[in-house]
Amino acid sequence: MKLFEYQAKEVFTGYQIPTPVGMVIENRAELAAVLPKIGFPCVLKAQVLRGGRGKAGLIQFASSAAEATKKVEDLLVSPDNVRKILVEQAVQIERELYLAVTVDPFKARVILIACSEGGVDIETLAADAPEKIIKEEVDLNIGLMPFQARDLAYRLGLQGAVAKQAAAIITGLYQIFCQYDAELVEINPLFYTKDDTLVAGDGKLIIDGNSSFRQTGYKKTREYYVSDAEYEAAQAGIPYIQFTGDIGLMCAGAGLTTTVYDLINYQGGTVANYLEFGGPNYQKAVKAMELCLKSPSKVILIVTFGTIARADVMAEGVVKAIRKLKPDRPIVTCIRGTNEDQALKILQEEGLECLFDTEEAVRKAVELVARRDYG
Amino acid sequence: MSIFIDQKTKVIIQGITGQEGSYWTKHMKEMGTKIVAGVTPGKEGQQVEGIPVFHSLRRAAERFDFDAALLFVPPRFTKDAVWEALDAGIKKIVTVADGIPLHDAIQIRQAAKAAGALVIGGNTSGVISPGKAMMGFFPYWLERVYKPGRIGVMTRSGSLTNEVTAMVVKAGLGISTLIGIGGDPVPGTRFAEMLPYYQRDQETEAVVIIGELGGTMEEEVAGAIKAQIYNKPLVAFLAGRTAPPGQRMGHAGAIITGGKGSVEDKIIALTEAGALVAERPSEVGRLLHQLL
Repeated sequence: MKLFEYQAKEVFTGYQIPTPVGMVIENRAELAAVLPKIGFPCVLKAQVLRGGRGKAGLIQFASSAAEATKKVEDLLVSPDNVRKILVEQAVQIERELYLAVTVDPFKARVILIACSEGGVDIETLAADAPEKIIKEEVDLNIGLMPFQARDLAYRLGLQGAVAKQAAAIITGLYQIFCQYDAELVEINPLFYTKDDTLVAGDGKLIIDGNSSFRQTGYKKTREYYVSDAEYEAAQAGIPYIQFTGDIGLMCAGAGLTTTVYDLINYQGGTVANYLEFGGPNYQKAVKAMELCLKSPSKVILIVTFGTIARADVMAEGVVKAIRKLKPDRPIVTCIRGTNEDQALKILQEEGLECLFDTEEAVRKAVELVARRDYG
Repeated sequence: MSIFIDQKTKVIIQGITGQEGSYWTKHMKEMGTKIVAGVTPGKEGQQVEGIPVFHSLRRAAERFDFDAALLFVPPRFTKDAVWEALDAGIKKIVTVADGIPLHDAIQIRQAAKAAGALVIGGNTSGVISPGKAMMGFFPYWLERVYKPGRIGVMTRSGSLTNEVTAMVVKAGLGISTLIGIGGDPVPGTRFAEMLPYYQRDQETEAVVIIGELGGTMEEEVAGAIKAQIYNKPLVAFLAGRTAPPGQRMGHAGAIITGGKGSVEDKIIALTEAGALVAERPSEVGRLLHQLL
């Protein structure tokens, strides 16, 4: 679960990581109330979870109340579904650094990543100038040793009081990583101010979804999702991703669904939505189809090859869903696994297009889209 | 012989009395797996399919020897159960749970390495040597998928395993041992770490890996081939070639992040090392015949 910047910064504050003076607003009236406390120039940062906010115009500067008001109004009606804006005091910046804590899956270690050139896309920098990326490994069972934090600060080229501050920030980030069961904690950029102190310019905190039973501080409400359908699917425990193409997927298993996604692209088709109803969801065919019908697809493609899920149970579920929801678009099925012969019979009796080979089913779905478009 | 498991491997099942545990215990036993005991705290004295249940692994160890532990334990208790198995000196552990916390997974992998044990999973269907034995939940009765033979399979995806393995069998081949590495970002054991076992296994002539976007496990396989740790033929099928960057495709580990994990990069690495990469599942059989 990725938190919003303002939430990450709230967490930072509790771990001695300085952040710019700032407040969250949702409308014009709230802006008017906070501006006197923030002053000018100020920064208006749209609270959305997507990356590349700067380039997308979702971070704006203002040097007067009139300018701030105009820009806030524009942000609130932007297509990115902006609900909250973080209003911050502009910081006098000397330069920008980078700090992060994440996981090294191969070594089974926590890894601290630092760079004296922040603010940029760290992936690009890692590819172009890997020697500039500083890394430090930490054993999760032992924890971060103070010397490691100090050493990292010195390797960043910092001296004196600011090196000490950097070590404290690194320690705080590591503590957050552990306390919040994080996949990633990142400060990019970490401002080095004109008066030689460090301030977190941005904040990213991604909490491991598998730890939600012990990380109960944040509820995944609608604002964490891009679309209503994605939110509704998450509520039902069904993996769902919204795309903009023609073929709605209702498949079983992550690997197979992703493969069907590829095969459709190879075949010149496009995907309307990714949806998994396999594994523990295999009895949720009605809900799955209901979600599928929400995306404006032209064809629904059902591909499964069950391990736990029985093919006949899935076929019965699909038939039940069709009878209940009466879909207005063609459906192609390719349901295999335990009791697949029985499944075939159930689907054929319902008059459904039944195929037994994934690639053939994909071709059929792409062909049906073409027929709907031109036929 | 096969790798990891055969009909002689003595298996203990942690979480044997649960719904999934007892259901699959029946199937594992029917297939020929030698299950000697089970563990569920508070249920000692009960039996599942005629297999005695103990409160703890230590108590079971007073009565039985075992070579391997299979965990049908919920994700939040998996770390504890892995430690219990390691404590009993078990060197082969399979954990099928989907949803193990990331930080637990790091500690599990680390502890396994320190103990010289193999932990397979989580988020996997387990391990199967068709015609012999299995630890996990595979519909081994599907003959067009789980046919014994001489091809080793390793996979990050359960659903795709049936799809790809059916193609291996369709090509007139069969499976020696199939290992579900699992779909998590930090699996207990990685593809390349199992390659030396397949290399030594006289029943395995070639290996198929079923990978996907995200992580670096496929690149490590390429490294193992280049380092001559493994020199039998290898065919890969990788899901997510057309996946958009930054989009998690189902599995937690299936995401292109930090400029790493794209299928294109994996194909380049594997091809350079001399492996063949199938664009579609249906090509896997043909590519295997090309190399054998």
